[in-house]
Amino acid sequence: MSKYVPKLSDLKKEFDEKPSVLKGNYSVQEWWDIPVEFRDGNWCFPGKPEVLEDLGFANPRKWAATDENWQLPAGWQKTISDGLQSRLKKYRSLKLFLDSCVRCGACADKCHFFLGTGDPKNMPVVRAELLRSVYRHDFPLVEKILKGFSGSRKLTEAVIKEWHMYFHQCTECRRCSVFCPFGIDTAEITMMVRELLNLIGVNNNWILAPVSNCNRTGNHLGIEPHTFVQNINSLVEDIEDLTGVAVEPTFNRKGAEVLFITPSGDVFGDPGVYTMMGYLLLFHHIGLDYTISTYASEGGNFGMFTSNDMMKKLNAKMYHEAKRLGVKWILGGECGHMWRVVHQYMNTMNGPADFLEVPVSPITGTRFSNAAATKMVHIAEFTADLIHHKKLKLDPKRNDHLRTTFHDSCNVARGMGMFEEPRHILRNVCNTFHEMPEDTIREKTFCCGSGSGLNAEENMENRMRGGFPRANAVKQVKDRHKVNSLVTICAIDRASLPPLMNYWNPGVSVYGLHELVGNALIMQGEKKRTEDLRENPMAGFEDGGDDEE
Amino acid sequence: MNTVLAKFLESNKKAILQQWLDCALALFPEKMGYSTPVAMVLSGALEKILSGLGKSENDCQEALDDVTRILAVQNFPPSKALSIFLEPKLILRDIMMKTTVAGTLTQEVQEAFNSRFDRLTLEAFDSYMRHREKIYQLKVEEGSRRMYMALRRTEA
Ligand code: SF4
Ligand code: SF4
Repeated sequence: MSKYVPKLSDLKKEFDEKPSVLKGNYSVQEWWDIPVEFRDGNWCFPGKPEVLEDLGFANPRKWAATDENWQLPAGWQKTISDGLQSRLKKYRSLKLFLDSCVRCGACADKCHFFLGTGDPKNMPVVRAELLRSVYRHDFPLVEKILKGFSGSRKLTEAVIKEWHMYFHQCTECRRCSVFCPFGIDTAEITMMVRELLNLIGVNNNWILAPVSNCNRTGNHLGIEPHTFVQNINSLVEDIEDLTGVAVEPTFNRKGAEVLFITPSGDVFGDPGVYTMMGYLLLFHHIGLDYTISTYASEGGNFGMFTSNDMMKKLNAKMYHEAKRLGVKWILGGECGHMWRVVHQYMNTMNGPADFLEVPVSPITGTRFSNAAATKMVHIAEFTADLIHHKKLKLDPKRNDHLRTTFHDSCNVARGMGMFEEPRHILRNVCNTFHEMPEDTIREKTFCCGSGSGLNAEENMENRMRGGFPRANAVKQVKDRHKVNSLVTICAIDRASLPPLMNYWNPGVSVYGLHELVGNALIMQGEKKRTEDLRENPMAGFEDGGDDEE
Repeated sequence: MNTVLAKFLESNKKAILQQWLDCALALFPEKMGYSTPVAMVLSGALEKILSGLGKSENDCQEALDDVTRILAVQNFPPSKALSIFLEPKLILRDIMMKTTVAGTLTQEVQEAFNSRFDRLTLEAFDSYMRHREKIYQLKVEEGSRRMYMALRRTEA
């Protein structure tokens, strides 16, 4: 159990002070009577009909959340009801989570969406209640046993609208679960409800389009193999222009020792591409025998935000490709939910991968026994190990123009417990690093507000509200320590934090960790470096300046 | 600003601030707790605005921005959001009615205070609009950044 669970006395005190909705006296209305209003900035466009057809998903049609009539399919109540029943049987955790909440309220004010909106339905306990109230109505036995628990209700179209609204205001970040005495994970409830909603065609295009693309071409952006290669090669040219070093990645090469898989945002997104340049420099620096696949060309897995089956299918290509290429193990890039899938589900979904070996770093000889089941190592662990064994030539002064802080990505931090490795790297590749306040980092980190596929432009207001607690913590180190760089190890963060910073903390830029590694690496045969990978001047390395060691 | 008023504000600052902050927190569907990030930012900013009243005009621009930056992304309409700048007048009136110092504040001083807050409300409106525009700008930028990467791909 998490060490942050409050003591009984704290809990009692908290409950007394907690928002009234928990105690059932929310002004005059019950929470379920508060109407749901879709308006500009608080919903994502629904899946396009052609995307749904591609995937064979239910109820393809043109619609919008603001429509009065959502054109739900005939018999949708039964679909949901049966869907819930079968999932309750299949996933014991779901039943446990639905049955065991005692409404103590410890989670109520831990969600960034609640903290950003003050909306009672964004309290994790109430969010779960949105499903639980229907579950109670459908399964009267539960109500009999748990008498004293009020509030069961019928499944109506209004409930579906409410689900759509509030289960798309949960980024599945799991912060709430850290504080729950029972370890109830509202993120898993959200996953289940989104799965149910997909059964009747209530969905989000920002999630389903990448799923469909990935299903077809192997990556979220739908990039075909030749373009994928071209893009990486253009980064190789940029690296040569900047450093004078020609790195030589290979593609689909059989017999390579390591298969490298990263989110496609690193190959095609700004600022992700600079992180990609960092990886390429690192691999060249240590002479790693690796290859990149144009088929397993996506580390991310939006299947996770859609359904279990889809997650499994999209994940499977990593092992397929590792097997086909005959590599020994897989190295994975900086990503958030990709690691949640790998760490928590991959081995049971698509494993065991007996054809792979327990990963061993060819440079240091370190055996990553923590990855013995999945055979997949996180690049932060890999690089931290290299630094620990002094295998990298680094000049942290090259990052002196950056005053950094570190954002723990929910999935890497809470999903797999990785806290120290990225910090170890950061401290070695730059000279200025300041932590944000203690209750906003590591296990208690605040989400970027756009995770789990909520990163759509049209959802901007929601994202800014949900990201406010994170941004506010960054502001504190910005004001106190003049921090100007927010470093992170997640591709969604690299896409979602720039606008968040632009709104709340103008002047703070977002960096991938390995971009800073790439800046700091002293490459053999390099030319004099005056600019970082973004072609921004490095402080103290101006032309004519002295950059000799 | 008038020294009588400045003195009055100074001695009643805590009470005014508390009531003002409560109004601001009550804007949210579920009243925000005092230890939430929203409450902390708002209380800091409102205090700065109040302390800045006696000083030159631009003193509170940053604090004003801190307030409207939060309000501009909320689900409630601008009329409700900006209503918090109307509250101080009422709070001041209430406090004066309750304290003996009340008699010492002339109508002229009260009017000075009120007109200062009228101006502040308008400044807040500008600031609120700047943040709304920023939101739309972010939406556009996100779209064009994707376009730029797509172009880069076709040129590759
Ligand atoms: S989910 Fe856990 S922390 Fe939240 S109210 Fe229920 S028991 Fe308490
Ligand atoms: S998982 Fe995260 S976003 Fe979802 S309810 Fe819990 S704290 Fe909120």
